[in-house]
Amino acid sequence: MRRWSRSFGLLLKWNLLRVRTELPMFAAVQTLIAAGIVLGFSLIIPSIDAEAALYLTTGAMTISLITVGMVVAPQIVAHRKAQGLLDYQRSMPVPRLAMLAADAVVWIVAALPGLVVVLGVAALRFDLAFAMSPLLVPAIVLVSAGAAAIGYGIAYAAKPALVGLYTNLVLIVALMFSPVNYPADRLPDWAAAVHAWLPFQYMAQAIRETIDVPAGGIPVLPFVVLAGWAAVGLAVTSRVMTRRV
Amino acid sequence: MSAQPAVLEVDDVVKVYRGGMRANDGISLEVAAGEVFGMLGHNGAGKTTLLNQVVGIARPTSGRIHIEGHDAVADPEMARQVCSMQPQAQAPLEGVAPAEAIELMARIRGASRARARRRTAELVEGLDIGAWATTKGERLSGGVQRLTAFAMAVAEPGRLVMLDEPTNDVDPVRRRLLWAQVRELAQAGCAVVLVTHNVLEAERAVDRLVILDEGRVIAHGSPAQLRGEHAGQLRVEAETVSPEVARDVARGAVGGRPATVAGRRVIVSIPVEDSAGALAWAAREQQEGRIESFSFAPVSLEDIYVRLVGPDPDTEEVDDAPVEP
Ligand SMILES: Nc1ncnc2c1ncn2[C@@H]1O[C@H](COP(=O)(O)OP(=O)(O)OP(=O)(O)O)[C@@H](O)[C@H]1O
Ligand SMILES: [Mg+2]
Repeated sequence: MRRWSRSFGLLLKWNLLRVRTELPMFAAVQTLIAAGIVLGFSLIIPSIDAEAALYLTTGAMTISLITVGMVVAPQIVAHRKAQGLLDYQRSMPVPRLAMLAADAVVWIVAALPGLVVVLGVAALRFDLAFAMSPLLVPAIVLVSAGAAAIGYGIAYAAKPALVGLYTNLVLIVALMFSPVNYPADRLPDWAAAVHAWLPFQYMAQAIRETIDVPAGGIPVLPFVVLAGWAAVGLAVTSRVMTRRV
Repeated sequence: MSAQPAVLEVDDVVKVYRGGMRANDGISLEVAAGEVFGMLGHNGAGKTTLLNQVVGIARPTSGRIHIEGHDAVADPEMARQVCSMQPQAQAPLEGVAPAEAIELMARIRGASRARARRRTAELVEGLDIGAWATTKGERLSGGVQRLTAFAMAVAEPGRLVMLDEPTNDVDPVRRRLLWAQVRELAQAGCAVVLVTHNVLEAERAVDRLVILDEGRVIAHGSPAQLRGEHAGQLRVEAETVSPEVARDVARGAVGGRPATVAGRRVIVSIPVEDSAGALAWAAREQQEGRIESFSFAPVSLEDIYVRLVGPDPDTEEVDDAPVEP
């Protein structure tokens, strides 16, 4: 465990050095996109009630984390793969998962300021008042970890050329065709049934219902499902990373 | 064989890649502490494949690999801890400067902050890359990237150090600096495995070596042993005025020794004791205007290497056949 945390810390430092020039830009763009989703959708839908506003706000935050974990992280892996850097990494004396975690944490942390800004923008724009729970923190951790684990799983398993295609698909599905920015009952039955198995709606629900806790309390199901998805993603990833040719 | 216990033991390793490529075909070798062990061989001979199996990037189809007595195939994590490797692929230096990368790698390998700093300074100085120590990786020349990768591997060396073509892209002066660092590693007690195509330099840098050919060890020993019967010999090379003269010169070369003719060149191997006579012969031939120039050199490992793995002399374009006197 000490070796794990030491490796993680040093790799994290390495990553921070590597991206030190891009990181502020990344955080800024991430913030703009998230705020843009809130403001943009509120233009598309003219009369927004409190529920829709809550969906939009928390949906924008969820999309932001999904982008980082399932789009940015896999693209970086694909880039490395294409450059032939994975073999170098494989020869390093560090636990594989520490390497992944150090990669993902940088981008997730860079996305956090955006989340705060979104909450602020939404509170101003829609006059929202939230009944926030401290469980928001584990929710954010779990959503990020789940998204990154799935993203890595696919990035390590798929050919680099296909990763760009897949990340575009994920973004569109998550943004437009998932019960993230709107309730699931707006979807046709079959789509709702599919989403009962996909992680997107649970990610949105975990964020939404910890930001504004529903009357019945915070449900356990999204957390369980997300933990399951994270486990599957990590299993695939660590299998691919430790597999010997 | 040296008295030191082997740090790396490779025993009858066979590696057949998916798709049927037989990259290693029964390789056995031992590398002891304090030894620089060279691995030579043509492109695709299976050198990188063997190193990858030692650190658990590839899995042997059969055979055993032990590092300090521990099974490296069963425990690749252990192998990566004990062995520091400079892979043939470039290191991921994007966005980081050599000094930062070397220091971080030393710390990842377990060095304290102070020691990592000290080793980084030593290596930056020792390899003469101070001018680029704080330049970001993407702006470094290929050779400096390679030197940085070398320094990353050896800043906090494991008991086993494996270097896959460390001098590629490196200039001749810095190559010597690098060999000096390799020698220091061995003196500090590391077992060093060195893959290189630079046979001339390997001859000076390594204690023992193997030559691989299509996944098999075809020669094994110290540079002097490999030179074998050629060890006490000199290679006399004379450039004659024409191919016809070359054949004629070859017939009477150094008292009728067997000579090889290649175009206008005549090549004779002579024992070192006969060098005075050979010199007199060459000078006389030169005076008579039949030889334009000549040189004396020890039979090199490269001669041996090319003889062993080079193209089959029968099918070679060059007329390199011995001439009957
Ligand atoms: N992952 C792989 N899958 C299939 N075949 C491979 C793989 N890696 C290497 N090979 C093949 O195995 C053989 C040995 O390759 P290897 O990289 O070990 O050669 P090498 O001796 O290091 O050559 P070089 O001097 O060019 O670096 C080659 O024919 C190569 O094409
Ligand atoms: Mg190679």
